[in-house]
Amino acid sequence: MNTPIHVAFIGNPNCGKTTLFNAYTGARLKVANWPGVTVEKKEGFFSYQGEQIRLVDLPGIYSLTSYTMEEKVSRSYLMGDEVQVVIDVADASSLERNLYLTLQLIEMGKPVVLALNMMDIVEERGMAIDLHRLPEMLGIPCIPVSARQKRGLEILMHAVLHHKDKDLDVLEHDHPYESKHRHDHHKDIVMVYRDEIEDKIDMISERMEEKYGPVNNVRWHAIKYLEQDEEILKNHPLDLGDVVDRSYETDIINEKYDFIEEIIQECLVGKSEKAQFTDRIDRWLTNRIWGVPIFLGIMALVFFLTFAVGDWLKGYMEQGIEGISGLITNGLVALGVGDLVRSLVVDGILAGVGGILTFLPNIFILFLALAFLEDSGYMARVAYVMDGIMGKIGLSGRAFIPMLLGFGCTVPAVMASRALEDPRDRLKTILVTPFMSCSARLPIYVLFSQMFFGRYALLAAYSMYVLGILVAILVALVMNQFTKRKGINTLLMELPEYKTPNLHSIAIYTWEKVEDYLKKAGTTIFAASILIWVLLNFGIGGMVTDMSESFGAMLGRQLVPVMGPAGLGYWQIVVALISGLAAKEVVVSSMSVLFGVSNAAGQAGMSAMAAALAGVGFTTVNAYALMTFCLLYTPCMAAIATIKRETGSWKWTLFGAGFQLAVAWVVAVAVYQAGLFLTRI
Amino acid sequence: MMLREGKLKEGYLVEEIRLEDKIRRRLQILGLTRGTRVEILNRKKSGTTIIKVRGTRFAVGREVAEGIEVREPDTRISRSDQREVSA
Repeated sequence: MNTPIHVAFIGNPNCGKTTLFNAYTGARLKVANWPGVTVEKKEGFFSYQGEQIRLVDLPGIYSLTSYTMEEKVSRSYLMGDEVQVVIDVADASSLERNLYLTLQLIEMGKPVVLALNMMDIVEERGMAIDLHRLPEMLGIPCIPVSARQKRGLEILMHAVLHHKDKDLDVLEHDHPYESKHRHDHHKDIVMVYRDEIEDKIDMISERMEEKYGPVNNVRWHAIKYLEQDEEILKNHPLDLGDVVDRSYETDIINEKYDFIEEIIQECLVGKSEKAQFTDRIDRWLTNRIWGVPIFLGIMALVFFLTFAVGDWLKGYMEQGIEGISGLITNGLVALGVGDLVRSLVVDGILAGVGGILTFLPNIFILFLALAFLEDSGYMARVAYVMDGIMGKIGLSGRAFIPMLLGFGCTVPAVMASRALEDPRDRLKTILVTPFMSCSARLPIYVLFSQMFFGRYALLAAYSMYVLGILVAILVALVMNQFTKRKGINTLLMELPEYKTPNLHSIAIYTWEKVEDYLKKAGTTIFAASILIWVLLNFGIGGMVTDMSESFGAMLGRQLVPVMGPAGLGYWQIVVALISGLAAKEVVVSSMSVLFGVSNAAGQAGMSAMAAALAGVGFTTVNAYALMTFCLLYTPCMAAIATIKRETGSWKWTLFGAGFQLAVAWVVAVAVYQAGLFLTRI
Repeated sequence: MMLREGKLKEGYLVEEIRLEDKIRRRLQILGLTRGTRVEILNRKKSGTTIIKVRGTRFAVGREVAEGIEVREPDTRISRSDQREVSA
């Protein structure tokens, strides 16, 4: 097979690159309606007309400068020799802004094909783009597509295959006869600047080639020297003191936009202002007074759906799982399997994994709700609405997006912090995000609040989320005192148009999360359940009948004195908490194994466990302290690994883990002691 | 005057951006070049403002809004016209 053609997708944030990527490769990468969803480059393969194509999706950028992380990643990748064709994905419904990057890409010298995405929206608004004049003015093929409706995909790839060879900037057609004239229909320079700048470009180009030999995109380099681009100056130092007397960046940007205005004037027909739909919604959602209450209301609704509707669905899930567990247990008996194996399967695996699977409906609803929020365009508004409050704790409103995503899962939330430019803001956000209660902690709340809080269960669970936010705010405040940074608010964020949430992307998103959850149940939780079963059924003298003589109990007892003040001084609880470092759900599955309850989430299981806990003196106050501790203590291993990757520092990762453990202990102690005091009076 | 002082729902033209290089550059790249029309859509008490530039909405923090110098679309022309008349 011939080597694949290497094609890269690039474009402004939120222009639909990933939707297009998914459409070609059949991948199921996350798509949402806020800028900065894609933070890493992703690859996919497919074939078109017998050619293998290697497609790369890059994080969205507004320009090819080297100031943000995304820009650096995308630019150095595009400049590499690997990439043969660049597909510039533009949101055709805001062409004016998107064309800036297009002009820069063309200047870079690689073959560029412009994909005009969201043409359906352009039409909806009663606008039209002159598809004859636009490619004429830009000198590159411009293909209308709609990634959501999967239109224009074939033609786009057709154009890519045609333009992959660089020499094609001279368009030749096959004459049946001899022709001595050159048929150079296209000019190879997208735009010509003022004489002053063009003169300097010529001078710099000459000098650069003198020093570095032939460079294949010397014009682009010359322009970057004029803009005094740090990376270019560092990698290719050149003595230009007499030519570049100041930064010409502003001039170059201005001229590019002048040209863009010209293009828009000639190519955009029927420029209507039918974007009022978004303005009408924004009147409420970003309202000075109602913005924050509406946001809080939406979040309250999300959690109400998660707990109330989720629990109703959970009832059916329980019955199903109990049925299956029963079948397996009976099957094992019928097969005459030995006690040891049967105990492993029934008391270990079924109790652990089955208990976790029961919570799937809650998880499903939570992620479904988050998917709606993300896909509608509301996410970016939340950053605006919360900006004032976030400013008070020394963070930009933008930092609220990762924190909000933290309600789903800490791992992608920490990764989303990449969109923050200031490294200190990023670090702070990464350190407080784990306090936002992730979905893995949800089973703990559901179980304990239902066991101990009766009709106040919903309130008890809800209070955990509020407590998590409060602790995050408090921690950020304290950190802000240390950094002593002036409250400079340099928020700058695009607010996308609202869109009717796309069912397909919501389905992808939610399914992905459900799949993750199932996978986790089948791997981490499965393994942890077996491990816990082994720890609890074996002691120094081999297999034990009394769990309190097992290895697990011995281990747990070591830490009982430490956890006592927090009302968690039970070896069983300590074991469950330690095992929760693998994944927070494991706290619940371990409890099931510890108390020999087959399905902790079921009615019978719950009362059995509640009775067992009550037997050791574990009351409502202890339960609340446990929920608090689980909310705040060190996140799971996957989250810790992500924090390490994103901060690039073991020091900060370990500090974070230790710090969260300390915070959890302090708050749990406070909660427990206060609770004891209150119940005594 | 600065964008921070601009009235809601009004359009202005960008005069100059008086902010540190990094943020000025980002604004220019997004199309806030001299003479560009900026519309103020919304503003919070904290000063965070929603603006519309070249068909795109942006949320900008208070300090950013305080660093963008704008003018009303027609004042300069009319003023110079007046001067010509008086001269």
